Amino acid sequence: MKISRYLIVRAIILFCTVVVAVYITVFIANMGGHMDQIRRDQIKFDVAQAVYADPGNMGVPTAELQRMINERAEMQYRRLGLDQPFIVRSVGYLTTALSLNLGRSEYLTSDTGSREVRRVITERLMPTLLLLGTAVILVFIVAVFVALALSRRYGSFVDRAVIALAPTSSAPGWFYGIFLILLFAAVLRVMPYGGMVQSPPPKEPLAYALSLLRHLALPVSAIFLGGVFGGIYSWRTFFLIYSSEDYVELARAKGLSSRRIQNRYILRPTLPTIITQFMLTIITLWMGAIVLETVFNWPGLGRLYLTAVNLSDTPIIVGTVVIYGYLLAGTVLLLDFIYAIVDPRIRVGKGGGSR
Amino acid sequence: MSEQDGLLQVEDLKLHFRTRLGPVQAVDGVRFSLDRGPAMVVVGESGCGKSTLARAVLRLLPRNVHTYTGQVILNGTDVMKLGEERFRRRIRWVKMSLVAQAAMNSLNPVVKVGVQVAEPLLVHRQVGNKREALERAREAFRLVGVSTDFLERYPFELSGGMRQRVVLAMALIANPDLVFLDEPTSALDVLTQTNIMNVLKGIKRDLGMTFILITHDIATSSELADRAAVMYGGQLVELSDAGQFFTEPLHPYAERLMASVPTLREDRELDFIPGQPPSLLNPPTGCRFAERCPSRFEKCDEEPPFEDVGGGRWVKCWLHV
Repeated sequence: MKISRYLIVRAIILFCTVVVAVYITVFIANMGGHMDQIRRDQIKFDVAQAVYADPGNMGVPTAELQRMINERAEMQYRRLGLDQPFIVRSVGYLTTALSLNLGRSEYLTSDTGSREVRRVITERLMPTLLLLGTAVILVFIVAVFVALALSRRYGSFVDRAVIALAPTSSAPGWFYGIFLILLFAAVLRVMPYGGMVQSPPPKEPLAYALSLLRHLALPVSAIFLGGVFGGIYSWRTFFLIYSSEDYVELARAKGLSSRRIQNRYILRPTLPTIITQFMLTIITLWMGAIVLETVFNWPGLGRLYLTAVNLSDTPIIVGTVVIYGYLLAGTVLLLDFIYAIVDPRIRVGKGGGSR
Repeated sequence: MSEQDGLLQVEDLKLHFRTRLGPVQAVDGVRFSLDRGPAMVVVGESGCGKSTLARAVLRLLPRNVHTYTGQVILNGTDVMKLGEERFRRRIRWVKMSLVAQAAMNSLNPVVKVGVQVAEPLLVHRQVGNKREALERAREAFRLVGVSTDFLERYPFELSGGMRQRVVLAMALIANPDLVFLDEPTSALDVLTQTNIMNVLKGIKRDLGMTFILITHDIATSSELADRAAVMYGGQLVELSDAGQFFTEPLHPYAERLMASVPTLREDRELDFIPGQPPSLLNPPTGCRFAERCPSRFEKCDEEPPFEDVGGGRWVKCWLHV
């Protein structure tokens, strides 16, 4: 019961964070209301042009023309809602952005030819989740177990060799991606250059899955190479710190097997710390995906975002920012959930404990 | 030192650590024996090697071991000769257990205390299933005076005194022959200390378990002790019956140590020992206390033997040879 209450509270807080973030985006995109003034001036200018150009208005006194211009411009303002103060309008912008109800894109279309922003974006969501999800899970599992093994062989040759590789994680995944493409696609010709499936896509599900896996291998390896050694390095340090805790020594005195000590007395107490750090890694990965997907020509959100920026397709840009906000919040919520499972201090709550 | 009743016999036990400055002789040639039943208290200043002695007997070694030699004979078998896996299965916790110095950190923060207390029974196959193990844990909780409701709690939900009792319950659960208590009460307030000492006295009386109590709190330890050992500079310098020791210590260091203990009724100046304990990196070749000793003479440049001076008293001092 406590865990669900904790999660609901976390979800509400995270949603508020997203709302604030999107509102700030809306505010910046509208230059704090200045954009409205620009649009209003533009409308007035257009109306004035039309009024002066109208042959029927020849000989009408200037004051009368001015009144007509003002009247028509007012009408346009009301039609577009520009007569309301920016603060009121910004709330409207916020709700449309949050519901991804952004109308139609200016240039980009979905594969089915739709220009609806929501469709364009959701279509690109799955490939990104597939790519990053696979890579992130792989990095996590490999790094945790290698780090655990190294912390036992602390100071050995293997340990020092792996630790010497840790600075490789300072370069992002796409950097390794370029070399992987060069080596496996250009020189060895065993892997595709990019894309998600071969063209035309295979009809059978099995062949489709195989083709997908082949295309997934290089970008996943790129993210893996860019993240795994740094993860091993820092997590090994956490394991070393936690294995010098008194309860680990006592577990040894209790005669528990080293496997049990490792899993129950080192890994489990360390997990909350590791998860917190891993959360930050995932968030940087979301950002890195923009370049990585472009390098690998992966039809995901990141590449969509970059294309939209190049084409100045504002609805798509705003939509992508919003969906990134949701994804980050979703990631954090998921990890909060895992955190609560592994750490009773969160689950039970301070001073509580009765059920 | 009768042979037939002997529980533990330690011969020339050495544990040296490797450091950047050279080997540290934390335990250097310790020799004592202990019968089943009487509790022994080991006293001495901080850093004299008391805790390391317990770790050497229990084989809880850090990574930087330089030398680890000697004999630890428990119930007639030299456990130093056992391989790591056999030692783990046959000796650890079922024969010797430990209440570690920092009880606050002796419990895994993410495992329920009941499970942690019951765990050794399952690992050493003393019971068949988890339910039985928890039932035994419940009994152990009652024994040390912790409400059995706490079985289902996590360590962070318990107070310091509670945790200390839980750690004690854990040390007793597998019915070991020998329990090391490494400053079991040093982090607690006086009332809780007294409570726990009373629990220990009760257990000693009722279960006949043998305790080795390591402490620098001489006043509290006198409650429990039957035998008293004094450590100085990594060596035992005196081992006597507690009664004799507390009234009339023999070794000059032990004398000074006892003189530094405040008493309520006697109106006397508290004494202290001038100087510093010797560095264990490069200890003096003769008697290690010689530098600070008021009764030093020429012979003290040679190392005195640790010998029986009669009446079951062992002293490492040329004055008593």
